[in-house]
Amino acid sequence: MNGMAMHIVSSFEHSTALELAISDLEEGGIEREQIIAVPLDRMGGQDRIFDTIHQSDGISLLDGAAVLGTVCSVLGATYGFVLPLGPILCGLIGLAGGMLAGFLLDLLVNRKKLKHRRKPAVRTEVVLIIRCHPSRAEHITQTLVRHGALGVGWLN
Amino acid sequence: MNRHSFLQSPRRKNLFLSSYSTNINYLRHPLVIAWWSAAFPGFGHLILGKFMNGFTLAIWEVVINYNAKINEAMIYSFTGRFEMAKEALDTRWMLLYISVYIYAIWDSYRLTVDLNKAAVLGEREQYGENINFRLGPFSLNYLDKHPPWLVLVWSLLMPGLGHLYLNRLSTGLYLLIASIVYIYYSHLLEGLHLTLLGHIREGAAVLDPEWVLFYPSVFCFSFYDAYVLTVESNKAFKTEQARYLKRTYQSSLLRLGNAGNNG
Repeated sequence: MNGMAMHIVSSFEHSTALELAISDLEEGGIEREQIIAVPLDRMGGQDRIFDTIHQSDGISLLDGAAVLGTVCSVLGATYGFVLPLGPILCGLIGLAGGMLAGFLLDLLVNRKKLKHRRKPAVRTEVVLIIRCHPSRAEHITQTLVRHGALGVGWLN
Repeated sequence: MNRHSFLQSPRRKNLFLSSYSTNINYLRHPLVIAWWSAAFPGFGHLILGKFMNGFTLAIWEVVINYNAKINEAMIYSFTGRFEMAKEALDTRWMLLYISVYIYAIWDSYRLTVDLNKAAVLGEREQYGENINFRLGPFSLNYLDKHPPWLVLVWSLLMPGLGHLYLNRLSTGLYLLIASIVYIYYSHLLEGLHLTLLGHIREGAAVLDPEWVLFYPSVFCFSFYDAYVLTVESNKAFKTEQARYLKRTYQSSLLRLGNAGNNG
């Protein structure tokens, strides 16, 4: 087989489907030694500690919204007892206004970073390489695609 | 072999999965955690996954605040009615409040700093545990990716639902019960009903100011914590899978260069 071996390279997101794909291949007679999985865990060259200790991805834009939302809602409900609109409306207005203000503030502060970080909706997180006999390539490719491979390429 | 199995038990774990709960240690900003403790003592600890301390402080907050009438006095003070504030406060309870309130803030800040160090070291552990699925007699739990916006929406509809979705039973159950208690005793829904019908004065009069002020923090905390937890549990899923793949599918003899020349 060695002389005739080829490689099938495919890309995946992290998912349970990926494990199903590998499991299907193994059930179908592909040996564990013929499979290599490379998780791309060194993405984007971010400074891991300092970037994430202060804000880890999606979180940062909610920090301000939750904090200011709580503050303004409490203050709104408090002053509502003496204001014409009453505590309920003032509390709700405070909540909405505070959340919006906090969100915009975060957006403003992180504007530069967000531009840098903008990610595509789907991105490769794992590269899967399978060594096999050319006669099985088509079947393997179909298995990979069926389980959500983002792309498959042949190297022969 | 010995050395191998020694290395395989991590000294610091960032992920715990049981059939009824998930606990994750991840990097957090100490000031954000301290802020939540200030908004409602105990909430900082709940975000950190230190549930027993969190519940202790959260229950303490309600008992002492309610009996001392701290919230009521806050409303009177903020609106300039200082005599009424003095009147409302119960001196038999009031001084019990201060030291524990400050402790909650300080302790959650300190803990976050420590836990962040553990999170960094835990992430660098070469061998994490193999955990993706736990089946128990009363429940089951597994790691997977979930859309954060969906969890956010459920939490906004009813505090606690986002946490139940994520199988964080402890915080979810607490938020659900606490929300119902605060909403009921504050007469919030009656006030909302009257206000929306245009009876603003009656709407204000029906509210219990002491209980009303508990609710905004609970509401905002629930959607914030649920959202962050979703993002982090998605990351934990990826980390666990990446470790598994590396351990299982990188030990082979396959090298790209070998394809044609080792036969």
